[in-house]
Amino acid sequence: MDWFTILFLVYSFLGFYFLFLFFLIYIHNRKEFFEVPPITKRYSLSIVIPCYNEQETIEKTVKSVLDIGYPELKNVFVVDDCSTDNSYNIIKKLASKYPKVVALQTPKNTGKASGAKNYGAKFAKTELIGFSDADSYPQKGAIEKMIGFFDDPTVGSVTASVLVNRDTKFIERLQAIEYRVIVFTRKLLGFIDAIYVTPGPLALYKREIFNKLGGFDEDNLTEDIEITWHFVAAGYKVAMSVPAKAYTDVPQNFKGWFKQRLRWNIGGLQTINKYKTAFKEKGMLGSFILPFFVLSWLLGITGLAILTYRILKFIFVNYLSTLYSINVQTAILSAQDINLAPNVLMFFGVVLFFLGLSFTFLALIYSRDSERKFKKYGVLGLSVYMFIYLLAYPIILIASMYKYLTKSYSW
Amino acid sequence: MLTNKKRVFWEAFLLTTVIFILGILLGVAFESRRSSNLEDYYTQSEIVSTDLFVLNNLVDLDSSNCEDLIQASFDFANRIYSEALLLEKYEDSGKITEKIRLTHRKYDLLRTFLWINAEKTKNKCGEDFDTVIYLYEYNPKNLVQKANQNVWSKVLGDLKEAKGDSVLLIPIAINSDLISLQAKINSLNITKYPAVVINDKDILLGIDSVSDLESYLI
Repeated sequence: MDWFTILFLVYSFLGFYFLFLFFLIYIHNRKEFFEVPPITKRYSLSIVIPCYNEQETIEKTVKSVLDIGYPELKNVFVVDDCSTDNSYNIIKKLASKYPKVVALQTPKNTGKASGAKNYGAKFAKTELIGFSDADSYPQKGAIEKMIGFFDDPTVGSVTASVLVNRDTKFIERLQAIEYRVIVFTRKLLGFIDAIYVTPGPLALYKREIFNKLGGFDEDNLTEDIEITWHFVAAGYKVAMSVPAKAYTDVPQNFKGWFKQRLRWNIGGLQTINKYKTAFKEKGMLGSFILPFFVLSWLLGITGLAILTYRILKFIFVNYLSTLYSINVQTAILSAQDINLAPNVLMFFGVVLFFLGLSFTFLALIYSRDSERKFKKYGVLGLSVYMFIYLLAYPIILIASMYKYLTKSYSW
Repeated sequence: MLTNKKRVFWEAFLLTTVIFILGILLGVAFESRRSSNLEDYYTQSEIVSTDLFVLNNLVDLDSSNCEDLIQASFDFANRIYSEALLLEKYEDSGKITEKIRLTHRKYDLLRTFLWINAEKTKNKCGEDFDTVIYLYEYNPKNLVQKANQNVWSKVLGDLKEAKGDSVLLIPIAINSDLISLQAKINSLNITKYPAVVINDKDILLGIDSVSDLESYLI
């Protein structure tokens, strides 16, 4: 066996392992997928909304939080991070209109959401503290569907389903598919206590633990990943409530999307680096989350490397063959000359692809949204998602790795 | 609960291992079936080659059998040429076992035999036909060489199609560890590949067009 075959077989084994793991978790827990613990106690809650230049969306976000329908919601701290637009004036107007809303402003621009979040968290005095991004819209009843999980004393944080707010543009529709797959995957990870992120659009934490752990890491580009790892490293569980929903605005163009994904991945690398010693420790962080994160990276990059190698080799050999064929005036190699005899690697590749496709379909079925009617994704949307969108991810991984190593990044 | 959570990791590992082993076994079975097909062809070719060998000896006793010998050489060459195309098709799919590679080596031995036998036939019976021996590297790592060989194969295929039974085309992989082949190559002082040997006297190292190649033929 040559090195390429061995590499591909190792790659396939790991790919199969993670897919089977997710399918098995699903099979074992499918009846509990939408389950929410009954409410035995309504914990007091404050929600912090960090805001920087969000004049278009901040009012809608604050109103969504106020309309969330949770009687023990004490305060909504809207923290302006010294916006240069009209955000702070809007926040002050909202504060004067709604008694629960408190308008805050950081003494100087912190340059990142974590700065404003930590600033606002200082004012909260409730049992739970929640966070929502300024371009996200938690849905009515979301908190009621989350707080039951806190009855378990080992649960430190609860996250919700984050879905795409608009899917009018094609790139938004692709992200809508992706967000649904993420919802499904995160819930499955929740069944094995391996949730690795509590996303910004809606997450609740026990305030005492949040403060004990020092809040968000302001040096990390993805404070929502870092804090989750921090909670898990400290021995707390993170739960997910699928019926609790928050909608969020997503980038509407490729540039915005690419920039956002770079930030997510650089933050991921920062988090891996910060918790790299957890490999030696017991618990889900060291035994699953960290290896899963690192292997996902390696699988993505290896997959891209294999594909690039095959494509470049094919193009190079065919280019030279064509050139030589022209020189000697013989027929250029045709499609018939390309050898496509099936082999074991092809078999594994095809099975892996179809398993991945089935997982995506399963995720889309399970994260169906009865409250909002979205356009159907269609064959085109799903094809672009499977063949182009997902393939672009390893490129982002490599770009973010480069930026991380050269330290050329900012929020 | 914790045991259940741990169990799923082992279940996934077990399932992956089972599927993986099944996949590998399926791959081995697939490759073996192809190899077995090729072996059947090879056995028949081996019989033909032995027959050719006997016929060659017969010509030593009675030169009136020259026509039969030349025809048998062409039949044999055509036979192993079409089998070589099948072998080439299967070769790239042989990822796990070395069986197809071994079959390739055996075929290279038969082709070497045919080459030497063809030269002997020409000496005995007069130069009525051309021998075009294509010496290439099996599975080259160098992509330029791979592209070069692709085009050589195409050009020689075209030549064979144009000339039919007046050209005996024998492609042989030089890295098959065959002492007889190496001795023959050494006698011609060939050190660079791919190379085309025409009638044991003209050695071409660069790609030529079909019309250029024709100028070397009888």
